[in-house]
Amino acid sequence: MAKSLPLDTVQQPARNETARKANWRRFARKQIVPRLFLIPFVAFFLLPFYWMVAVAFKPIPELSIVPPTFFPSEWRWANFADATRVFPFWQYFQNTLVITFLTVLGAAISNPIIAYGFSRIEWPGRDKIFALVLATVFVPYPVLIVSLYDIYSRLDWVNTILPLVVPLFFGNAFWIFLMRQFFMRIPRELGEAARLDGASEIRILFQIILPQSYAAISVVCLFAALHAWNDFLGPYLYLQKEDSYTLAIGLTFFRSASQYDVQYNLLMAASALVVLPVVVLFLAFQRFFIEGVQVGSFK
Amino acid sequence: MEKVTSRGLTLLKDTKLSRRKALTGAAGLGIAAAGAATFAPRRAPYVKGQAKTQLQFWTGFTDPDLATLRKIVEQYNAQSTSYEVIVTQLAPAEVTDNTRLITAVRGGDSPDIYHMDRFTVASNAANGLVQPISEFVDEAVRATYLPFAMEEVTYDGQIWGMPLDTDARALYYNIGVLREAGIDPTEFDQSNGPVTWDRLLEVANMASVRDANGTYSRVGFVPYANQAWHYTYGFSWGAQFYDEANCAVTPDDPKMVEAMQWVYDACASMDANAISAWETPRRVPGFPPQQGSLVTQGVAFEVTGDWMINQYAQYAPTAEYGITYLPVPQAGMSSATWSGGWSMVVPEGSTNAEGAVDFISYMCGEPGQRIYTTDTRHLPTITSLTTDPSLYTELSSFFAAQLLPTSNNRPPLPVGSKYWDEMTSAYQAIYLNEAQPAQALATAKENTQADLQQFC
Amino acid sequence: MATDAVAVAPERSNGPTPRRRMSRQERQNLVTGLLFISPWIIGFLAFLVYPFYETIRLSFTKYNGIRDPEWIGLDNYRTMATDDLFWKVLFNTLYYTGLAVPVGVVAAMLMALCMNQNVREQPIYRAILYLPSIIPVFALSFVFLNLMDPTYGIVNRLMVDIGLPNINWFGDPAYGKIAFVILAQFGAGQAALIFLAGLKGIPQHLYEAASIDGAGNLRKFWNITLPMMTPIILYDLILGLSLGIQIFTQVVILTSPPGSPVNSNLMYVNYIYGLVFRDFRSGYASALALVLFLITVVLALVIFRWSRSWVNYETV
Repeated sequence: MAKSLPLDTVQQPARNETARKANWRRFARKQIVPRLFLIPFVAFFLLPFYWMVAVAFKPIPELSIVPPTFFPSEWRWANFADATRVFPFWQYFQNTLVITFLTVLGAAISNPIIAYGFSRIEWPGRDKIFALVLATVFVPYPVLIVSLYDIYSRLDWVNTILPLVVPLFFGNAFWIFLMRQFFMRIPRELGEAARLDGASEIRILFQIILPQSYAAISVVCLFAALHAWNDFLGPYLYLQKEDSYTLAIGLTFFRSASQYDVQYNLLMAASALVVLPVVVLFLAFQRFFIEGVQVGSFK
Repeated sequence: MEKVTSRGLTLLKDTKLSRRKALTGAAGLGIAAAGAATFAPRRAPYVKGQAKTQLQFWTGFTDPDLATLRKIVEQYNAQSTSYEVIVTQLAPAEVTDNTRLITAVRGGDSPDIYHMDRFTVASNAANGLVQPISEFVDEAVRATYLPFAMEEVTYDGQIWGMPLDTDARALYYNIGVLREAGIDPTEFDQSNGPVTWDRLLEVANMASVRDANGTYSRVGFVPYANQAWHYTYGFSWGAQFYDEANCAVTPDDPKMVEAMQWVYDACASMDANAISAWETPRRVPGFPPQQGSLVTQGVAFEVTGDWMINQYAQYAPTAEYGITYLPVPQAGMSSATWSGGWSMVVPEGSTNAEGAVDFISYMCGEPGQRIYTTDTRHLPTITSLTTDPSLYTELSSFFAAQLLPTSNNRPPLPVGSKYWDEMTSAYQAIYLNEAQPAQALATAKENTQADLQQFC
Repeated sequence: MATDAVAVAPERSNGPTPRRRMSRQERQNLVTGLLFISPWIIGFLAFLVYPFYETIRLSFTKYNGIRDPEWIGLDNYRTMATDDLFWKVLFNTLYYTGLAVPVGVVAAMLMALCMNQNVREQPIYRAILYLPSIIPVFALSFVFLNLMDPTYGIVNRLMVDIGLPNINWFGDPAYGKIAFVILAQFGAGQAALIFLAGLKGIPQHLYEAASIDGAGNLRKFWNITLPMMTPIILYDLILGLSLGIQIFTQVVILTSPPGSPVNSNLMYVNYIYGLVFRDFRSGYASALALVLFLITVVLALVIFRWSRSWVNYETV
């Protein structure tokens, strides 16, 4: 995807008036019009994040101003340091990181393999079983909580990270579905040729299909990471020792149990700190999946 | 004493046994189980013998109150020769949300002591989440507690926990706001006793500010703000909420209907929609207390609890305010309020009820409550402590000395939470002027009674 | 038109192959296919079939979650017929989902098109559009409340300025569900990302060919982009249906008790959750869960059947 370079066009001496006008029109169409839509749209979506950060910086008395101030009167950096002391931030950070890493690993390994079986190989009954996969996403989770806890308890998994991580190695219906939808868009002939040459299915998956699917895989990895990073109910139920808690649990410590008080600025500061790694991850992933698609589209 | 302990033991053994059997039987789980065996660290067994017996204590409290709990636990551990209590902080959840305890009891991972909202003790007891501890608590000890607090941990003739702290509701008035509206605040002085609800509304309306569109930018008194709950009005009018003889909830008590009619009319007179537009965002659970109406000078009056003293000190240290009795329906009647609070219980599945009660007696007894009241400024539940001047400031002693001795409690029912939510639903329909009080309360009664019936 | 041209149903044959070989091939494919999906089968049996079986069994019992369940046959299902709240939460949930799903698809598509604009600082825009999807839900809800506060919220002020009524979003029983639909669009970044990945996968030569034919942007979108995106739109419909039907957290965070006022915002899963963990009625909750499951599966099947007429797999 070649970047349009308006400066080059402008720098060239205009041969005549019409060419310059055409250049200008091209410049407006490619550079100005999109931004006219993008900037207000994006500004609106920036609001929640901005608000979180702005509140995170406010000193306590400023929280009580109505209507709330848009810019903090004082940017109080100490709130962030204070926030990390409400719970053992770095310890929980580390715990969350381990769970997230294993979750992403599980999702990245299992989902493409399963999705391949549901999309690139024709076998009798495939679509019926796939319907079953989809049906699982409609099982309302509150009623499964107690039965699932029973199972993990019997396995002696309570108080370990296993209930949070192991299921991810067996695929997730949404992500299988997502990968499948992408695999099915890849031309059939790509696999057929290799198959006639005697390549095994696993080789076709790894050498032909996966290189075409970086975008989908990185989306699945990102979603898996987010799921693990933000999950509250899982750690809440299964991690019963304080030193094994995750960030999502730590964030609730800003609210008193009696619910009459919340340290709002510190809560927002901690939330911003929790979100930060995800933003970084997103920026990194973003380049990755766009490049991934570009590589694929050359073939 | 031994009876409870050994019962707990057998129960646990039985479940463990059946669990092993089920494990061997569940073929589908075989592979997963094999994986687990290699990874899962076992729970360390309780240390027995010369070492002290460990007791697990779960609380959903956070700092600073948690720090006080830990301090009391340390003192207990230092003086106890047989037990060592280990505190685990849970993520704070809604008080009526028993997810964590239900799963733990079911899975055989119960703690020995659990910090529970007293309001939910009866229903948790009725449903088998909690062990009775009556045999460990002497009649003489029970008598030292405030009657309403003890009543809340009593269900079906048994004691299911011990009360720790409590609270109370009163009327706060904002002196600055009243003066601004040209109202003399001395009328609301404690020494003048309670005003009537009608008088409160009359004065409050003078302090309200509305713009041309009818939008309030200040409301003198929001009839349902903060702690002005259905129960608050019900107790004020002298309603009964439970008919023990007939095992029936009575939200349709004529006095309650009368009370709710007052709320209905008050909201109607102030434009129910406009009041709702002001109040609704403030009722959202995640709304920051720093932006509460009292702190931000948005109201002249509000019904709220003793904890508001701390919030004023923290968020509006310069605000001038007063605290007085809740108003009364008619001049000459005595003012009524109500209280809630927390308790310590022994969950089902704990194998050491005796040890757990030993700790609970310390924590909820005088040594624990003294520290707890001093450090957290919560109110105590031991009657003799409510009049101990060393524990209170001038403001908070009003709650302890004047309000607590005659305070009411919500009836301890196995459907207590459901009853609350059903009445809240009716209350909303009433204050939004969407349903007539009698009709809304009848629906609440019907829905709650359907659930209560199985326990009758 | 474009849809018909490229539509190839995936179930159809592999092309002409001799019968005998095909059946052997089929057998082999069956084994390979099952091997590929075996992780899912194991996980399905271990983490879903058993708890799900429990749910079915419990739906025929009176069970408080702690003591032994007591068999009561079809009573729970009979209770449902006369349970006004059941019908109310079902209506609320379907109302919300019916609005949230189509709005969500349009929002995700719009956002993805924004994310796909070829401007230099695009990575920043993408990150910002995605941000609300990752900020903790309570922080998002808090901002949302501030924006839509009837007294001083920016959105409400704007609405009043242009002559619209000042809506009390969470206080007026008529508007809560709409507010939840709007709130959900802050999270459209998740779906938009998938749409973006889909947009990136559309071969450029299709657009180039269309340009040569003199097609404008709108026609390109209609004839190329949209048909090429149909598998992803289908994915988003199903995802949206599942998320919509199971709406839960926002309700807990923004209303107290959940579903206020007067249960106008009480959603199905919140009702189930309350039954299990507040009212100790796990048996009835199990029956409700099963009914919800069946309703959603039927809805999903309808969407799938319908999608056959417009989803287009395989490029070229």
